[in-house]
Amino acid sequence: MAMKDPRDEKLDLWLQRRGLTPASSDLAQRIILRAQQVPQIKTASLWQSVRELCAEFHLPKPAYVLASALTIGLVIGFSTPQDNDSSGKDVVAAQSFLAIDEAIL
Amino acid sequence: MPTAWPERDDNELLSLIQNGSSQAFSTLVERHTQRFYRLAYRYLQSREAAEDVVQDAFIKLWENPALWQPEKNSKFTTWFYRIVVNLCLDSRKRKSAAPLDDGMQLIDEREPMDETMIRAQEQKMLEKEIAALPERQRTALNLCFDEGLTNQEAAEIMGLNLKALQSLIMRAKTTLKARLRSIL
Repeated sequence: MAMKDPRDEKLDLWLQRRGLTPASSDLAQRIILRAQQVPQIKTASLWQSVRELCAEFHLPKPAYVLASALTIGLVIGFSTPQDNDSSGKDVVAAQSFLAIDEAIL
Repeated sequence: MPTAWPERDDNELLSLIQNGSSQAFSTLVERHTQRFYRLAYRYLQSREAAEDVVQDAFIKLWENPALWQPEKNSKFTTWFYRIVVNLCLDSRKRKSAAPLDDGMQLIDEREPMDETMIRAQEQKMLEKEIAALPERQRTALNLCFDEGLTNQEAAEIMGLNLKALQSLIMRAKTTLKARLRSIL
C-alpha cells in the first residue's frame, strides 16, 4: 500500500486554510444602491409591443382590434360584387391588339 | 399568503428580476454576495478588487437580466461563478503589471518567529505560487478549495468533465509542491 506523501497532506491543509480578508459589511447594500441608478435593458416581445402601442393611443385591447379588422375585411371582401367576365374581356382586348399588329405586318 | 422573499428560490428571483423586481434583486444579492466575494478574493488577493468584480457582475445581471436563460443553465450559482471567474481574469490581465501585494516584512532572523508569523509567511508564499500557476490550474484550485462547491460543480463551472478537472488539480499541486518544497 502506497504511503501518502506527507507534503500532499500539508499542502492540502494549506489550501484549505487559505486566508481571506472579509468583505466590507456594506458590500451587498452598495451593490443594491448602485443597481437603483442603472436602468434595465428591456427586451419586450412583439405582442407586448403591440399592447403598449394600443395603450399609447387609447385603443381597445389588441385582440379586439385584430378581430374587428378581420371581420371588417371579410365583410368588405364578401360584399364586393365579383366580375367573372373581366378575364374574358382582357383576352379579347389582347387578341384585337395583336390582330392590329398582324395587319400592319 | 405570499412567500417571504428569503424563502424564494434563485430561479424564481431571477424570473422576477427579469420583470424588473428590485426586491428580488436585493434578495439575490444579499444571499450570494459573500460566496462570490470569496472566490474573487482568491483570484485577486485584494478586497477592493474583489468587491469591484462582485459588484460589476451583479450590476451586469441587473442591467441585462435576459443574460440568464433558465433553459440553458441548470443552476444560478454555477452560471454566475463563470461570470465572476471571467471578470477576475479580465481584472488580472488589466493589472498584470502590478505586483502582488507583497506586504511581507523583511524577516530579521535574529528574532525568534512565532507560529503566527511563520504561518502568515507560508500563506503569502503559497498565494504567490498559486498566482503564478497557469490560468486553468489556478481556476480549478480556487473553485475546488472554495467551501460549498463539490468537484462536480467546479467541473461544470469550467465546462469540463470530472477527470479533466482532477487532472488540472493534480498538475497544480505537483507544481506547488515543487516550488514550495523548501517549506513544505
